[in-house]
Amino acid sequence: MESTFYGSAKTFFAYLILLCSSTEVVAQGREITGQVTSGDDNSPMIGVNVIVPGTTRGTVTDIDGNFFLQVDESVEELVFSFVGYRKDTVTIGNRTNLSVVLQPDVEQLEDIVVIGYGVQRKSDVTGAISKVEGEELAQQPVQTATQAVQGKMAGVRVISSGQPNSQPDIRVRGTGSLLAGVNPLYVVDGVLTDDIRNINTADIVSMEVLKDASAAIYGVRAANGVVIITTRQGEEGKPVVRYDGNVGFRQAANLVEMAGRSQYVSYLEDAAPGKVAADDSPPLTFPGTTDWYEEVLRNAFYMNHNLSVSGGTENHRYYFSGGYFDEEGIIVTNDFSRFTFRANNEVDVSDQLRFGSQLSFSRGSGRDVELGNVYRNIYRAAPVVKAEEGGRYGNTSAWGNVGNPLLGLEARNSRNTFDRLQGNISLDYNPVEWLTFHSAFNTDVRMNKIRTYFYEYENDTVTFLSAGGTQRRENSQLTLREERSVSWVWNNTITAERTFGRHSATLLVGAVTENFNSTFLEGSRIDVPENQDLWFLDLGDPDNQSLNTSNGDRFTRQSFLGRITYNYAGKYLLTASLRADGSSKFSERWGYFPTVGLGWVLSDENFMQGEEWLERLKIRGSWGILGNDNIPTNSYITTANVNIPYFFDNNISLGTAIQDIKDADLKWEKTTQYDIGIEFEFLNSRLTGEIDYYNKETEDALIIVNIPAILGDPDNTYITNAASYRNRGWEFSLNWNDQISEDFTYSAGANITFNDNEITGLRGGQALLGGSVGQQSFVTRSDNGVPIGSFYVRDVIGIFQTPDDVSSYTNADGDLYQPGSQPGDFQYRDVDDDGDIDDDDKIYAGSYQPDFYFGVNLGVNFMNFDLSAVFVGNGGNEIYNGKKAYRFENTDNIEAEYAESRWTEENHSTTDPRLILSNTPASTYFIEKGSFVRLNNLTLGYTVPETAFDNVFITSLRVFVTSQNLFTITDYSGFSPELPGGTLDTEGNGVLDAGIELNAYPTTRTFAFGVNATF
Amino acid sequence: MKRSISKYLLVVFTAIFVFVSGCDEYLNVSPQGEITEDAIRNDPNAAEDLVTGVYNIMWQGNIHGFSYIGMTNIASDNADKGSTPTDAAATQGALDDLTMDPSVAFLNDIWTGYFQAIARANQALEMIPLSPADETTKNRLLGEVRFLRAYFYFKLVRFFGGVPKIDRVPSPEEANDDVFQTRASKEEIYEFIVSDLEFAAENLLVKEETQVGRATKAAAMGLLAKVNLYLQDYQAVYDLTSSIINGEVGTYGLLENYEDIWREVGENSIESIFEVQADINSACNAAIDVYVVCQGPRAGGARGWADLGWGFGTPSESLLNAYEEGDLRRNATIIFINPPPQGTVLWDGYRVPSRDSVENDRYNYKAYHSRTAEENCGNTGRLPKNLRILRYADILLMHAEAAFVLELPDEALTDINLLRERANLDELGIDELTREAIWHERRIELAMEHDRFFDIVRQEAVQQGRAVDAFAAHGKTWVRGTNEVFPIPQQQRELSGGRLTQNNGY
Repeated sequence: MESTFYGSAKTFFAYLILLCSSTEVVAQGREITGQVTSGDDNSPMIGVNVIVPGTTRGTVTDIDGNFFLQVDESVEELVFSFVGYRKDTVTIGNRTNLSVVLQPDVEQLEDIVVIGYGVQRKSDVTGAISKVEGEELAQQPVQTATQAVQGKMAGVRVISSGQPNSQPDIRVRGTGSLLAGVNPLYVVDGVLTDDIRNINTADIVSMEVLKDASAAIYGVRAANGVVIITTRQGEEGKPVVRYDGNVGFRQAANLVEMAGRSQYVSYLEDAAPGKVAADDSPPLTFPGTTDWYEEVLRNAFYMNHNLSVSGGTENHRYYFSGGYFDEEGIIVTNDFSRFTFRANNEVDVSDQLRFGSQLSFSRGSGRDVELGNVYRNIYRAAPVVKAEEGGRYGNTSAWGNVGNPLLGLEARNSRNTFDRLQGNISLDYNPVEWLTFHSAFNTDVRMNKIRTYFYEYENDTVTFLSAGGTQRRENSQLTLREERSVSWVWNNTITAERTFGRHSATLLVGAVTENFNSTFLEGSRIDVPENQDLWFLDLGDPDNQSLNTSNGDRFTRQSFLGRITYNYAGKYLLTASLRADGSSKFSERWGYFPTVGLGWVLSDENFMQGEEWLERLKIRGSWGILGNDNIPTNSYITTANVNIPYFFDNNISLGTAIQDIKDADLKWEKTTQYDIGIEFEFLNSRLTGEIDYYNKETEDALIIVNIPAILGDPDNTYITNAASYRNRGWEFSLNWNDQISEDFTYSAGANITFNDNEITGLRGGQALLGGSVGQQSFVTRSDNGVPIGSFYVRDVIGIFQTPDDVSSYTNADGDLYQPGSQPGDFQYRDVDDDGDIDDDDKIYAGSYQPDFYFGVNLGVNFMNFDLSAVFVGNGGNEIYNGKKAYRFENTDNIEAEYAESRWTEENHSTTDPRLILSNTPASTYFIEKGSFVRLNNLTLGYTVPETAFDNVFITSLRVFVTSQNLFTITDYSGFSPELPGGTLDTEGNGVLDAGIELNAYPTTRTFAFGVNATF
Repeated sequence: MKRSISKYLLVVFTAIFVFVSGCDEYLNVSPQGEITEDAIRNDPNAAEDLVTGVYNIMWQGNIHGFSYIGMTNIASDNADKGSTPTDAAATQGALDDLTMDPSVAFLNDIWTGYFQAIARANQALEMIPLSPADETTKNRLLGEVRFLRAYFYFKLVRFFGGVPKIDRVPSPEEANDDVFQTRASKEEIYEFIVSDLEFAAENLLVKEETQVGRATKAAAMGLLAKVNLYLQDYQAVYDLTSSIINGEVGTYGLLENYEDIWREVGENSIESIFEVQADINSACNAAIDVYVVCQGPRAGGARGWADLGWGFGTPSESLLNAYEEGDLRRNATIIFINPPPQGTVLWDGYRVPSRDSVENDRYNYKAYHSRTAEENCGNTGRLPKNLRILRYADILLMHAEAAFVLELPDEALTDINLLRERANLDELGIDELTREAIWHERRIELAMEHDRFFDIVRQEAVQQGRAVDAFAAHGKTWVRGTNEVFPIPQQQRELSGGRLTQNNGY
């Protein structure tokens, strides 16, 4: 093995030298002539490479497909190759004239990659672009297509939640920003958007991710990568009706066991002495244990049905589909349903003119849950109080604990209904074959309606099993909010595509105009009746606590773009583009985003032709500058708050205040990215793979800087271009496909990404604090030299076991380090060695960003059965167990495991403290390893043999069972090591507060049964 | 035919390109729904509106709300944390016990709130001169804002000692300069306060000439007198308070019934010199955030009633013991929760259940706002109670103390006896008049009015041991050299890059 590789390398270099010195070997011996024709249509093929294997000797065919070559007597074979056709090795034997038919390489021909404002053959691409076929996505029982991408693409990390209608976080090659958004740009059939929850996965034909600088064609919005989604189009032929559906149920994948009655009571004796003796009696408490998670969680039924018709005539192709998705949600008050409709049409008006349209409409409606207070309270709720009995609730707040979370969930009815129309109409005009004018008008119209109703209830015995406590709502309240946003993008491009001999080039120039408008209207009233039919503002009290608000947003962009792609003989590849983006969001309007990519298909070089084991080998590299402008519109303009009331002479007077501090010179973020990659196909294309190295450096990164309160900003923050940071890493992906027999094929794929994120500069050296966990305040700090969102906490070095331990823990002067401590308390390290323990004594304790993340895909087809499995995971990251750290009352419940292991007089634990209270500071104790491996999807399918349908209208039928998230292997003690942004109610949205488990919706496990059928 | 279509389309495409490439204008989008600085500059009412905006900030919780109650009443010997033992133990509890460390969240709340108020004031001060209004009006407006800024700084300097002196709107570039990021000395801040108040006293109108609720000449002079009391410039205190007492800057006097002062009937009364206005608006939020509800009686024990609040800041045993027999002010200041079976009927007829259903023994009556007999629109979080910031009784007390120090005991005695008379107490004799007696009167008269913590610290500076003893009687330890001020919030120290120094002992 080693010697083979060594040998190959040696020959490779030998050929390289040969090539460079241009030495021609004089041919002697036989003369061979012949003709090469295409297996497609038997037409002669020009420019086919004819090579003597193992040498550089060879020729190309002429315009009639003929060739002439002199070869040594010893030569037994010739290799014929042409881009897009299967390489053919022909034995000469005694012949002097050869007729060769090259068969088109269907796979390769079809391997078209969407690169933004155009397509390219995969073989000609110079950028790092990953692609997943729609078929692969549709078979997973998930709601959003991006969830199904998990583990399928190197460099693309997907972090998803179990919450219905939630959009997973996607990180392409690391965390690319702090404030300007870290999720990629989505381009759905030309519509630029940040949200694809309206797209029915069954409608997707392919999903591409532009990971490197090739995304620069999307300029100021490309820094986080670009996900391009293409929806299905009909093909000429008779109508095909297709049904895809699956039904199943979801459940919480993993729960934390909370302390039961006896554990809780024994804990309270230390945490709140006297409490139990004073208050533990019915009807306030009961002798048993309430498992609050059991009370609020359920197995949730879901279903997903899709029906489509596609087909076409000579000059009209169509695809129509309808989908229905319905999901209960595993929290009792949660639900979601969605309809989607799509109509894609393509009409050839004449040979030169084509009209197209891709339109989708979706309508969704869901009752959401408040994951902040209410859901968080489930963890804290006292187990000695009943959840509910006979329609009355246990009074946890009267026990001195949180509000009853079950009541909290039920007393709030918030429903979000959205309608979304998205699509485009386009015109393509080809005055001559090589020239295309394309004009497409894309629009995205969104309407959201959010209706939130809070029921009125008293803390009396009508609502509760025992009266009292603080949980009550004196007045019912209704809030209605209607949001409407309309955005449009008008793309105009001219594409010229020409081939001159072995040169082929494509030139693209274009102009793109974008406009975004949004408004909202909101009102709220109290004392609205409980009857849902009366949930309108008119039914509320107009004079008390009424609120009416309305506002809007508007921004525009204007862009120009140009791109050249060039290749010589399909071997030497060049892509260069430049986009100029003007954005109304900045005072300095224009930004320029260039990129250059180069590629070399080594396997098409003559000297490589002899390598039988090698199908394809390509080296490519790219460089470019990408931007990110995804910040609020008015970030650079100082504005005033208006209608601030005060009273003079007992009359209302409306005032104004200027409060927000703004940076008038705000700029877009600029990311410079390098990428070097190798693509290969070995062993008859059974083994394929890609390796990439990338380096992304972001400058002028927008961040919310916490500013001192003395400046008077209401939230004490300020947006400016202060940071720079770097993501660099390696991506490896390998796929093995093999066919053992007619009935047995299998595949195995694996990808892994190593990413290293580091903040390389913060202007002014001001570190960013984030991730506020209750009384512990900020638990992350992002400073020079550490990854974004690094945990920054006190360093626990042990637990005091005896009073002596406390009194002997002294500084150099002999003063007690922790005078207030007692046995069972944490012992903290004096990190800055200044003789006391205070908030300066913190260390960096890792971040949520993994060192590496990976996916493994396995598939087997045997007879009519197919089995596939997708594993995903990551390693080398940390999680802050925020829910364990977030204490508010001493009566908050604790985890069963902690209840058993905590330090007591009898159990001298060296790891778990006696108590965790609201004043327990953030420390390394709450940090846990975030590594995990998960079986993300396991699917077993059976395709009913076609013979079964001889007399039925069904043409194909596959049934399958599938499970999403069957098991997870992790050391993390919480619900899930997978924590999408927004698990905290604060700003930062998964960037500065990433990896803090506090308000996370439980991760779900799904079991489903499905059918794919065509008619 | 075909050719002509092609030509036509070519023209269309060319036109599209020309159109879209045309205009930079297209990118000039004004902010939607927000007033820009330019719009304010051009609005004749803008100056007035900005001033209104400064008054409004006094409703914020971090100015006069929950954290404020903690750092004034609860921290003092007049009140305990109250509520349930565990509720807000880390914040209010630490303040009550004077064991707060720099990370206690309320410290940061207060720091943030007051500096935000100062920034609002500075923004207004920057814009007022640009207004097209006449000079007199502008000076009056400047005076009002400078009065408010001085009020905010006077609070800050007593909470924290020397603090950064922000005398204008710093540009973002200079915001990080040491001049703003480090603490000015206590003396510099006092100087700054005095100069603001002197300007205000000069340019403000007397109350008869101005709208109720606005800062007046007397308010500026009264506050300046108080500042001078802390600076121990008793002559200035005497002069300023004398002018007010003599009616030179408007008509002021004592309200007949002490208990009315803090009720709706006593709003903006003859005794009022400056108070935060609160009222009804359609959003029902025109009041100080949680001021009333956080101090209201709280259910506990057997519970079973819709309580009035969270029960914080309960009058202390030490305060209770300080009242003389028969002092009317005792029952006007404290809601007493009776033992079973009888409850407590409040002045408006509302019955609070007996002690077995209530969490604490006593509550602050001055913070009570009747849901039935006083104006409100149902938002318990924002009940519209006017906060009395400076009243005539305080002027008399300052006058008395200054007069006593200046050896004019007769004048001092007159002042004190006016208050004692209203409280239904016997007059003091001249030989009973001591500085301690004046201080005692001050404690009782202004009990639960957010003055005590500062005042006892001031007394300690005059007479060592005052604070130590007072807190000892209250069962707490007050440490000389440390507890005069609160710690500088840890978060702000971090944000300043360590340039904000910590107070001694924290």
